[in-house]
Amino acid sequence: MNDSGFAVRLSRVTKSFGKHTAVSELDLEVPRGTIYGLLGPNGSGKTTTIRMIMGILNPDQGKVSLFGADPDETRRTKVGYLPEERGIYKKMNVLEVLVFLAEIRGVKRPEGRARAGKWLERLGLSGWTDKKVEDLSKGMQQKVQFIGTVIHEPELLILDEPFSGLDPINQDVLEEIVRDFHGRGTTILFSTHLMDQAERLCERVCLISKARKILDAELSELKAAERTGVVAVECEGSDGWLSGPEVDHIEAVNGGFKLMLRDGADPQAILRRGVASGATILKFDLVEPRLHEIFVRHAGADAAGDAGLPLATTHGGVR
Amino acid sequence: MMGHNVWAVIRREYLQRVRSKWFIIATVAGPILMAALMFVPVYFAAQGERGERVLAVVDQTDVLYERLAPRLEAAGYDVSQEAYSENVFAALTQRIEDGEIGVFLVLDEGTMSAGQARLVAKQRPSSLRSLSIRQAVVASALEQQLESAGVDAVSMLQGGALEVEVLSAGPRDRPAQLGVSFIGAMFLYMVILLYSVSVMRATLEEKTTRVVEVIVSAMKPWHLMLGKILGVGAVGLTQMAVWAASAVVLVSAGLPALIASRPELAQLSELQAVLPGVKLVLLFLGFFVFGFFMFSGLYAAVGAMCSTDEEAQQAQFPVTMFVIVPMMFLTPVLNDPSGSLAVGLSLFPLFTPIIMWIRVASEAAPLWQIGLSFLLMGLTIVAIAWVAGRIYKVGILMAGKRPTLPELLRWVREA
Repeated sequence: MNDSGFAVRLSRVTKSFGKHTAVSELDLEVPRGTIYGLLGPNGSGKTTTIRMIMGILNPDQGKVSLFGADPDETRRTKVGYLPEERGIYKKMNVLEVLVFLAEIRGVKRPEGRARAGKWLERLGLSGWTDKKVEDLSKGMQQKVQFIGTVIHEPELLILDEPFSGLDPINQDVLEEIVRDFHGRGTTILFSTHLMDQAERLCERVCLISKARKILDAELSELKAAERTGVVAVECEGSDGWLSGPEVDHIEAVNGGFKLMLRDGADPQAILRRGVASGATILKFDLVEPRLHEIFVRHAGADAAGDAGLPLATTHGGVR
Repeated sequence: MMGHNVWAVIRREYLQRVRSKWFIIATVAGPILMAALMFVPVYFAAQGERGERVLAVVDQTDVLYERLAPRLEAAGYDVSQEAYSENVFAALTQRIEDGEIGVFLVLDEGTMSAGQARLVAKQRPSSLRSLSIRQAVVASALEQQLESAGVDAVSMLQGGALEVEVLSAGPRDRPAQLGVSFIGAMFLYMVILLYSVSVMRATLEEKTTRVVEVIVSAMKPWHLMLGKILGVGAVGLTQMAVWAASAVVLVSAGLPALIASRPELAQLSELQAVLPGVKLVLLFLGFFVFGFFMFSGLYAAVGAMCSTDEEAQQAQFPVTMFVIVPMMFLTPVLNDPSGSLAVGLSLFPLFTPIIMWIRVASEAAPLWQIGLSFLLMGLTIVAIAWVAGRIYKVGILMAGKRPTLPELLRWVREA
């Protein structure tokens, strides 16, 4: 793919602080228009990676490009950045902060004022326009900062732990806005350790642990590849149809069964057999792994010293 | 485009500060208070004192009136003479009651021998007015007595004359110049320190509140630093401009008005002579601007390398030393503004603003030395900007412990 097809591209980027290697030979490609999740445990190098993308840190080795070009050119106007550690001028009033943040990213002051008004209204802060930032609650300050991140209508949004510190209602509001930007073609790269959000939002995820990339795939591919080979079944009537050549063994769980399939087995064959047997099938569910489990499995395996497990050979051990 | 960003930072910094309560109080309320102190008494004095300025003199000595009248007129009285007669006092008292005259003054033999006189007024006159009348009476009597003894009374009364012959070719030291030198130096010290330290505080605040990460992702750290320094500097200039303008208005317009209404205060007009000229004011601003640029760069670097106020308190010490040291040399430089110590210190760029100011205000600095000092300060500013910009760039995003000196040098080399 042409370089410019990626909103963000890192090639073999390494960053060390003294003896500690924060990011090691990381390759990362964020296709334009995707919602991309950068996942990893605390201290795995997510924030360092993001800071290098934002030009706040310079990589020791490797190259960062944005939209296939020198990042310094595009960063100012095309990128919106929400850092992990939030901070905003506390003594300024809300509108002025937003106009200033828009101005330094190339939005003229009157235009900035108009956009700030719209956003404040959308996020339910229109009564707070002339209040000082320090008079707002933490949650409201976060919203103001988020507006400051998107007010120049960036093509690329980089959000470092955007959901942390938000209550569930505001998490939903933020999620909706992220989807909204995605619908308009904005590329979104965000880091999180909240797997639920990542699972709902991301099209593609990258899992890093201990400075290294462990997984990098489309979420759907990842789930398919990580399929656990477990089918949960609930039925009434005979259950003899459950056993067959596809099934390794069966576990009875409350009110149903869990079929552990052999490698490469087709669950459809079992289902057909069940229908033919005349049993009433209440549930036939191919259990998909949750991102949480994938995360724990890989990050955990890596933490145990078994770095870079290839996907295809990863099996079992979910429960 | 980058210029636009710097402008946005300047604008923010300037407006935030200029709108702050502290700035408004210090800048506007100060001169208003000064003006109030001057004009409120004038206002009250103007109320109903007009009639009291008409003064009649009954001169029983027959010789003092012609000497006294010009003196009283100079003090703002409308003077007339009344010949002595039996019932003149009753007539004058009646005229006071009628409001025709304010007061009358009686001179007799006691005036000639002991400076005693009698003043009749409707109300007790202010001590200032009594004093000015008493002085006029005593001076007239002395003059009369001295001249009749063949003494040059005018010269004597003016305090004589001391002809001073200076052997070294130094400047004439007038007390007025001393005042301007000293007050100016104190003032420069205060404003340079105050505004440079504000740059440090602002930097530290942006760093500790993590605001800087967002800002620096949109502009070069160097531009942020530049905008900050220019913004704070503009605030300093604004404040000084307001103060200077109000001082000029007060002295040039307020003072004559005050003296017109209270001629006893005529001596205050000497204040006008003390006012520094335009050249001196411009040099003062020049020393402020250059001094501020040098020190604000240094303080910005200090702010950027620290993470807490306590750390900054310690780290700023070496920089603050350079502001304080010239203050310790104030007395020797004031005493001998052309000496080699003064010349040497005034050409060391970080000391120039205060020391060279003293020499300039004492008229002891040749033009070439002033020019050279500004050139050296200019070069120093460039050097500081280069070093401080690099420290700022690394430090502003660095959390944790303050860097050691070797680490700082590495920042400067590698940034």
